[in-house]
Amino acid sequence: MRRRPLRRCLAAVKLWVPLGAWLTFVLAPYAWMFLTSIKPPTELYTKTVRYWPSQPTFEGYRLLMETTPFLAYMRNSGIVAISTCVIALAVAMAAAYCFSRIPFRGKSVLLFGFLVTQLFPSVLLVLPLFLIMRSLGILNTPPALILAHSTFAVPFSTWMLTGFFNAIPRELDEAATIDGCTRLQTFRYVLLPLSAPGVAAALTYIFIYSWNEFIYALTFTADLQARTLPVGLQTFMGEFIIRWDLLTAGGVITALPIVFFFMLVQRQLIAGLTAGAVKG
Amino acid sequence: MLRSWRLRTVILCLGVLGLILIIGGATQSLHAQAPTVVRYWLWLDDPTEPMFDQLVKEFNATHPGIKVEYQLVPLSEYHDKLVTALAAGSGPDAGRFKDWWLGEFVKLTALEPLANSIAKWVGRSDVIENLWNTGKITTAGPVYMMPHQFITFYLYYRKDWFAQAGLKPPATFDEFLAAAKKMTDPAKNQYGFGLRGGAGGQDQWLAFMVGGGARMVDGQGRVIINSPEAVKVNQWYIDLFRVHKVAPPSAPTDAYAQVLGAFQAGNTAMMAHHVGSSVLVTQKLGAGNVGVVPIPAADPAKPATMATMSGNVVFVTSKQKEAAFTFISWLSETTPMDKWSGSRQGQLPVLKSVARLPRYTENVFFKVSLDGANYAIAWPPLPGVGYVSAQAWQANMQRALLGQISSKDMLDEIARALQR
Amino acid sequence: MRSPGRSSARASRGNRRGRTWLLPLFLLSPALALLLGIVAYPIARAIWLSFHRLEILRPDLTQYVALDNYRGLLQDPVIPIALQNSVVWVVGVVVFQCLGGLVGALILNRRFPGRAMVRGLALIPWATPSVLVALMWTWMLDGNYGLVNDLLVKAGILSRFQPWLAQPWSALPAVMLADVWQGIPFFAVMLLAALQAIPEELFEAARIDGASAWRVFRHVTLPLLLPTILITTMLRMIWTANYMDLIMIMTGGGPGYSSLTIPLHAYYMAYKRLDFGYGSTIALVQVAILAVAIVAYIRLLRRNEVMVQ
Repeated sequence: MRRRPLRRCLAAVKLWVPLGAWLTFVLAPYAWMFLTSIKPPTELYTKTVRYWPSQPTFEGYRLLMETTPFLAYMRNSGIVAISTCVIALAVAMAAAYCFSRIPFRGKSVLLFGFLVTQLFPSVLLVLPLFLIMRSLGILNTPPALILAHSTFAVPFSTWMLTGFFNAIPRELDEAATIDGCTRLQTFRYVLLPLSAPGVAAALTYIFIYSWNEFIYALTFTADLQARTLPVGLQTFMGEFIIRWDLLTAGGVITALPIVFFFMLVQRQLIAGLTAGAVKG
Repeated sequence: MLRSWRLRTVILCLGVLGLILIIGGATQSLHAQAPTVVRYWLWLDDPTEPMFDQLVKEFNATHPGIKVEYQLVPLSEYHDKLVTALAAGSGPDAGRFKDWWLGEFVKLTALEPLANSIAKWVGRSDVIENLWNTGKITTAGPVYMMPHQFITFYLYYRKDWFAQAGLKPPATFDEFLAAAKKMTDPAKNQYGFGLRGGAGGQDQWLAFMVGGGARMVDGQGRVIINSPEAVKVNQWYIDLFRVHKVAPPSAPTDAYAQVLGAFQAGNTAMMAHHVGSSVLVTQKLGAGNVGVVPIPAADPAKPATMATMSGNVVFVTSKQKEAAFTFISWLSETTPMDKWSGSRQGQLPVLKSVARLPRYTENVFFKVSLDGANYAIAWPPLPGVGYVSAQAWQANMQRALLGQISSKDMLDEIARALQR
Repeated sequence: MRSPGRSSARASRGNRRGRTWLLPLFLLSPALALLLGIVAYPIARAIWLSFHRLEILRPDLTQYVALDNYRGLLQDPVIPIALQNSVVWVVGVVVFQCLGGLVGALILNRRFPGRAMVRGLALIPWATPSVLVALMWTWMLDGNYGLVNDLLVKAGILSRFQPWLAQPWSALPAVMLADVWQGIPFFAVMLLAALQAIPEELFEAARIDGASAWRVFRHVTLPLLLPTILITTMLRMIWTANYMDLIMIMTGGGPGYSSLTIPLHAYYMAYKRLDFGYGSTIALVQVAILAVAIVAYIRLLRRNEVMVQ
């Protein structure tokens, strides 16, 4: 069936107009941050709002790389975020499989208990956590943050993954068991591929949470050995001098690894993985 | 089989050799004098400037028995992080400190009294005499904080606009109000004064309060900020926004970035601040367009302004108190002081020898600031000042500016918070 | 799926019957270890603190005050304001984040060239550090030189610049706008993942039956997405209830108390007034309220068979 040009035009409009509008809202403040980062300091505060810099300059980016330990911060952030992803995801998947597929007493109480930890404002948990990290001897090292971040990412990821696992029909498990699979094989060959979108979403959540986490990073790190990007960026705000050039350049760059990460991960968010699963 | 046996022996021997070397090396370094490590915390306005790093290297080089390791903490988090660390018993040995927190921390017995160490310090007599009081709780009591960098408030004004309008810069409250009114033109989004009701605005508020004749505490240390005179001055300040509307509509929540931004953008004609922003302001507006005068006074015979000190303290939990004091007193010696004050993040030097240098006397911003030091008043060293400066002032000032509470209510709340 | 472990499968099934708790324990133990070891202590400590008046560094001055902190909470005039703000904040922010995320997920689910890159870009609000989100939005909403005002005036919607963050009625909504912006990608990703679980055949069948796009959404997509929407919304509400970074930087809870929420109030009491006992009390009361709300929510979900066990 050949689509007539008008229909194709309408279809395009129905896609690109909402997409354009949504994307504009989503990107506008970031664009403003980028524009600010390439403006010379004299153009920052102007009586009438100035959008485009008359003399764009990348000096802020150069200074950021050369005069600040930005790359060290990024390295630390990367180590912590990736490690947290691995650990928290593994723990959450095990727990979610358990909640979803294994009947046992006290399940709902335990599931609820997982949530309780999230009910507290992190600011009030900082002091006791600091004591724990200190007695473990891991202050000012990445493991302190990895541990703290995992602790807070696990409950949420568990809940999410439990929901995704629940959406996969048990008949598939049973079919696999009849074929002679152990639990582990069922998990690996049936559950995991079908819940790939959920796993991708959980991974994204954990990575972003860890990458941008501030209060624990501030309290448990002292210097470049372990300090992460959010804390580093905050040092560009002094008592009376705010380095907008470094701050905005840093902000622009900090968001990018996540964008690239998600461009890879989003491949799992493709329809058709579950098509025919039940029938087959 | 023979070969693997030999291989194992070789590896074993190498291992033992290596172990001997390591132990030998370790004991060797143990025999050499291990320097005392002093952990020092600070915030910096501009961390990209290498000034402080160079100072630390210089100190470490000239004091072989001491090694200073510093940690840079953003100012907005400094107090909180310090509280957490001290509560957990992991505080630093010494740190940069603000007079806002002095009363609070002394009440917690977290700060080491420095009287004995100061008595033995060579640079003692070079410090501007009345600045020692900023580190004390009572005038007769011990000093807890070494003075290091301070500021006094003054008033920036747009020289070009004032010249155009034929006005001279204000010296009294009445002149100030008249000038502000003349400069205000809402249609052009232009206002006379950048009143700061948001975070950090308590310092400039106090400057105007004392300029108007109000005082926080009386001679006996009793809180009198809610006295009838103070209520009147506060009302005058509130009326700038509510009645005369010489401040921008955003004033209630304007913090430093907004007030500075508005002044730099040409939205306001006058801004109260201090030498810490002088470089930024002249950079944007041009030195010829910006002038500076002392904070206006209600009674020109009794000028007053506000001062706040960023000093250095030694913490009670430190195990290296002497070494820590050596470092912080070194920071307050002539050359390091000059290096700091002369840098991008420099504020007023506390030393008479440095204050006399042409670099400062010939800079109008430094000059007006240092003149103000003679009659400047600081926050009283009460434990409640920390809370007032962090939240109580802001919430109540905003409510007063919006007309939700009266001037008296606001000052009563602050008095109550101070006396906690 | 071949049968590599046919005999071992039968054997393990036999074992399993005798030790039904072993596997769950093994699978859950890392998570439980983390939670009990790392989080239980701070929570217990917070509860202990709420019954004491703590002086940091002065254990000799710390005293047991029984229910004094709780009594103080009932008499605190700021609490009702903060509570109201918290409710408005949580409900308002999550509802709009969900709507914006739903729209985004539907759009990003369609096939178009450059989709991978667009999906990556869509994450930017969530990927930007909170301090910069707060600073940029504060700048954009500025009453003197902010671009939001500029655009609204140029578009003729406003006649003069509004100081969004300085007016009691617009301060909290302004911060909510920034948070909605920041949270939309979160919902977009979660809902996009959930969309993948809906079999293509259902859409095809509906379209063949002649259903319009809206009816497909209303009768196919929405019902199947509902479980994920409800769970994600609940989790997000919990998280938002405690999220105070944006409010702290943009308005500090002001002007006055008009954008002060419960966790921010707890923080000020603990770290600025150095009253950790009272701060913990406020936090605990919020925990209690949230816990009750969650239990009710979960019961509702279960009744509608959302959390299929």
